[in-house]
Amino acid sequence: MILIFGGAYQGKLDYAKANFNPDKICDLTEAAEPDLQADCFCNTENYVMNCVKKGLEAKDWFEENAEKLQDKIIIVTDVSQGVVPVDREVRAFREMNGRLMVYLAGKADRVIRVFCGIGKDIK
Amino acid sequence: MNTFISGGCKNGKSYYAQRLAQDTAVGEGRPLYYIATMIPRDEEDQARIRRHLAEREGWGFETIEQGVNLTGILDRAKAGEDIDLGGVFLLDSVTAITENEMFPRTLKGNAGEEITTDPAAPERVKEDMLAFGKAIAEAGGSVVFVSDGIYGDGGEYSESTEEYRKALAGVDLALAKACDRVVEIAYGTEEIWKER
Repeated sequence: MILIFGGAYQGKLDYAKANFNPDKICDLTEAAEPDLQADCFCNTENYVMNCVKKGLEAKDWFEENAEKLQDKIIIVTDVSQGVVPVDREVRAFREMNGRLMVYLAGKADRVIRVFCGIGKDIK
Repeated sequence: MNTFISGGCKNGKSYYAQRLAQDTAVGEGRPLYYIATMIPRDEEDQARIRRHLAEREGWGFETIEQGVNLTGILDRAKAGEDIDLGGVFLLDSVTAITENEMFPRTLKGNAGEEITTDPAAPERVKEDMLAFGKAIAEAGGSVVFVSDGIYGDGGEYSESTEEYRKALAGVDLALAKACDRVVEIAYGTEEIWKER
């Protein structure tokens, strides 16, 4: 598994396309559920937000499907750098996203951080 | 050689950038310019400008005021103003010029101000910054661009703020691609993302 993360608008998906050329991308902004047929999941933080709304823990699905996710690319926006959000739901989202990223980074063979369109291997 | 610097607020970006610009200018025997981007609107801004001027005193910077239209500096030099395009230019910050161009302010006395958005600004600022960097490099000079990393927040913003984040990121990514060096400053330490 490859985890790609970075701030908003940093060119994470373009980086993944340019370097790994995934066949099928599952955009979790639109998809209700992650599609295991895809090679790459992007906007994974939106899946996390949906989990918050449904009262689920985002990393559960990733744990349950760990074996099938071994060859996937997972792109997540890092939302951990700002002030603690006032809104309870956004606060829960930010924390759940962090828990998911820690899990994914632990599982991944490669972790890449993208900054201004440039990627750097941190694992 | 042009450099793009970004990172979080109050991490030491300006200090790092000032030192880099000064070292380059002294090392290469070139004039050193500070591009001042703030368009003062009230006494608070004037005080801030005075403080910034005092902070830069002794660094050897000559201040060029240019709050919008960065390539205006090229025009001013061509029109005979005493600006050496082969100098070292510190632009602090990309953030401020993008803001000035995107949200042109119409002052309405002391009662308040009207803020409008210019939808053409993001693309224009990007092209303007790239053209400036290219022209200075061709003249043998260099530019140190300083921006701000405002992309790691989890909160939700108003529509115009979100548009602004997106626009600034567009400018940042284009500059990072064009510059020879890309540096992220994290609490005074440098993380080199690109060096050529």
